[in-house]
Amino acid sequence: MFYGGCDVGSTTGKAVILDENGSIIASSLVPSEIDPELTSILALEKACAQIEDLGSYKDLAYLVGTGYGRNEVPFANENISEISCHAMGTFFCSPDIKTIVDIGGQDVKAISLNGDGSVLEFAMNDKCAAGTGRFFEAMSRIFRMDLEAFSELSLKAGKIIPVTAQCSVFAESEVISLLARKNPPEEIAAGIQTAVSKRCFTLLKRIGMRPQVTVTGGCAKNRGLIKALSKIINMDVTSLPVDPQIIGALGAAIFARRKGNSLHASPVHLHTGRS
Amino acid sequence: MAVKGVISKAKSVIMGIPSLMKAFFHNSLAGYIMEAKSLKDLLIYTKYWALTWAVIIKLILKLLFKKGPIVLVRELIHYPWMFTLLRATGLMRRLSRGRRGAYLESTCLIISSIAGTVVRIMENIFYHPERLIIGQDVVTSEIPIAMGLNCWQLEDFGILLPFLDPEAALQYIDAAENEGINPDACSFVKMPVGMIIKGHMPKGIAIISSNMTCDADCTMYSFVQREYDLPIYRLDVPYHFYNDRAEKLFAGDLMGMIEFLEKNTPGRMDWDRLREVCQARNRMMELELELWELMRAKPAPLAAEAVYLSHLWFFYVFPGDKVSVRLFEKLVDLARKNLASGIPAYEHEKYRAVLWQPPFPHYVDIFNLLERTYGITLIIDSMTYNRHEPIDTSTPDSMLKGLAQVMMQGPMVRHTRGPAENYLDDIFRIYKQFDLDMVWIGNHVSCKGSQAMNGILQEKCREMKIPLFILDYDLIDPRIVSHDGMINQVDRFMENVMKAKRLDQ
Repeated sequence: MFYGGCDVGSTTGKAVILDENGSIIASSLVPSEIDPELTSILALEKACAQIEDLGSYKDLAYLVGTGYGRNEVPFANENISEISCHAMGTFFCSPDIKTIVDIGGQDVKAISLNGDGSVLEFAMNDKCAAGTGRFFEAMSRIFRMDLEAFSELSLKAGKIIPVTAQCSVFAESEVISLLARKNPPEEIAAGIQTAVSKRCFTLLKRIGMRPQVTVTGGCAKNRGLIKALSKIINMDVTSLPVDPQIIGALGAAIFARRKGNSLHASPVHLHTGRS
Repeated sequence: MAVKGVISKAKSVIMGIPSLMKAFFHNSLAGYIMEAKSLKDLLIYTKYWALTWAVIIKLILKLLFKKGPIVLVRELIHYPWMFTLLRATGLMRRLSRGRRGAYLESTCLIISSIAGTVVRIMENIFYHPERLIIGQDVVTSEIPIAMGLNCWQLEDFGILLPFLDPEAALQYIDAAENEGINPDACSFVKMPVGMIIKGHMPKGIAIISSNMTCDADCTMYSFVQREYDLPIYRLDVPYHFYNDRAEKLFAGDLMGMIEFLEKNTPGRMDWDRLREVCQARNRMMELELELWELMRAKPAPLAAEAVYLSHLWFFYVFPGDKVSVRLFEKLVDLARKNLASGIPAYEHEKYRAVLWQPPFPHYVDIFNLLERTYGITLIIDSMTYNRHEPIDTSTPDSMLKGLAQVMMQGPMVRHTRGPAENYLDDIFRIYKQFDLDMVWIGNHVSCKGSQAMNGILQEKCREMKIPLFILDYDLIDPRIVSHDGMINQVDRFMENVMKAKRLDQ
C-alpha cells in the first residue's frame, strides 16, 4: 500500500509517496500551474511514475492535500493545513527540532513544535512578498544570476552593505542604485540575506524560538540566507536529511499513512528514491 | 450613446434583482419564517422585529408631523447615515442565525433595545440641540445626564454604523485621509473626523473629553474643537490611579467639568438626580455581576452580544437609565431560565473564549459564525470587564469619587495606563474566573499601544500554556483585512493550535 502527500504551493507543487513501512519511495517537484488541481495531478503523476507497482495517484491508499491551494485538491481524501504538515514532516526527519522557519514562494511561516510534532504556536507573513522566494527571484534577476549562484554570492562577502528598505519593491530600487554605484555585489547580496534573516527573526521571536531551529521551503537551499540567519539568531540552523522543499508534502504523506492505517507512524526511512 | 448607457444600466439593475431578492429574503423576517426551528422562536423574533420597526417608524412619523416633511428631508440629507440605521432588523437577523430560545431572545432584545435608545439620541439631536453636548465615550455620561444635558458620543456611530453596514465607515475614513490625516492613523479616529469633514456630525454646544485613551483620540478632539469652535473641557486621568490621592485629584477634575458645563451650557447639576443615576448604575453593575456568575457555568447559558454588546452600549451611552436596568434584569432572567433548564446558549459549545479589545464592528457576525463552525462561545470581553466598587451615593463628594474610580479604572483606560500588569492581570483573572479555553486578541492594526503589549502577552501565555490567538484586523475598515482574511486566520489557529474539527463538515 502507498500513501501520498501533495503540497500545492504558490510557486511549486510537491508530492511525496510513502510505503506502508513509512519509507519515502518517491518525491517530485513541479512548477505550479494556475489551476491548483492540475498542479497536484502533475506532481503526483510525476511521483507515481517512479514507482512500478503504482499505476496512478488514484491507486494511493490515502492521500492528504496541503499547501497554498490545498482546498482545491478535490480528489484528496483529506486536506490538512500546511502548518501542521510542515511540523509533522520536520518532526519525523528530526524530532529534536523545535522551531521551523518555512520560507516559501509567497509567504513565510514560523512554527513552534510540541514534543509530539504537533503545532504549539505559529506566526505568518502572508501579506508581503519581502523575504519570500519571490523576493529572492527578483533580486537574482537584478544580479543577472540564477538563484543558486545568487545564494552563493554572499558567502564571499567580507562585510555587509545593509539593505534598508522593508518593502521588496523599494528594496529592488535600493539594490539597483547600490550596484550602480559600483559597490561589491557580494556585499550587497550579504545585505539582502541579512535583511531577510531579520524578518525571519522577528517572526521567530513572536513564537518563542527554541533550539533546534531549521528552515524549510525552497529558500532553505539558499546557503547565504542560512548563514545570515544563523548569525542573527545566534545558533546553528539544523539542516534536514531530506530536500527541505518537500517537507510539507512529506508531512502530508505521514498524516496520510497514519490516517490510512491508523497506526503510529514508525520512523520514516529516508530516501530510497527521489526525483 | 446615452440611450445605450441607460439600457446597459437598466440591464445590470434587472440582472442584479435575483441576487438582491435572495439577499433580502436571507436577511428578512420572511427568511426567518422559513428557517425558524419552532413557533416559539418565530414569535420571539417577530416580536422584537416589530418593536424595532415600531420605534423607527415612530421616529420618522414624529419628525414628519412635528417638524414637517421639508425638515425631515433636510435632516436625512444632513445625516445620510440615518438610512443605515434602517438595517437594524437586518443586524438582528444576522446575529440570531442558529440561535434558539432564551439565547435568541437575548440577542433580539439587545438589538431592539439599542434601536430604541438610538431613536432617543436622534430625538435629542432633532428636538433639543440646545442641550446637546459632545462627549467622549470613556467619559461616562452620568454627570451630563444629571445636569439635564444630552450627550452625543462621537465614537458611538464609529461602532454602530459598521455593525449595521460593514462599509458604512469607508466614505468617512476616505474623507479624513483625503484631508491629510495619516493613512495609518486609527480608523476609529478617522471615522468621526470624516463625519465632521462631510458635515454629517451633529454639532452640540460644548465638548467634554479627556487624555484617554490614546494620543490619536486626544488629537481628534482638538480637531473637533477647532472645527466647531466650541468650548472644551479635558479631563486629565492620572497615570497612577489606584490610590486616594489620584481619586481625590480626579474627583476635583470632575467638579471642574461640572463648573465648566454650568458656565457653558444650560445644564445645572442636580445632585439628587445624580444619586438616582448612580444608584441605577450600581443596580446595573449588580445585575451584570450576577450575569457573569451565571456565565461561569459550562456550557454558558448566554454568550456573545448578551455580554459584550449589553455592556458596551448601555454602560457607556445610557448608564443609570431605567431601560438599561430593565435590560440587564431581563438578561439575568433569561440566563437563569436557561441554566435552570440545563439549556446552553449553544448546544455544541466546545471552546470558551475571551475577546480582548473592542469587538469586531464591521464583522460582528463573526461570533455567530464561529459558534456554528467551531462551537466557540464568546463568554466575556475586555470592554465589559470592570472591577471597580459600587458608587457610594451618600454625598456629592463620594459620588464624584465613585465616578472617578469608574472612569480611571475603566477598560482601555486602565489598560493603557500604569504598568503592564493592569493589562495582563485582567486577562489571566478572566481566564481563570470563567474557565476559558483560549484568549483572543482583536489586534487592531492601527493601535500601536495595544500592539506593544502583544509581545509580552505572547510570552506570558506561553509560560502559562494558555492558547493565545492574535487576530489581525482593522477596527472599522474592512479593506485592511477582509472578512475572508479574518476567517482564514481563525481557521489556521483552530486547526493548527487547537486541533479543532469544524462542526459544519
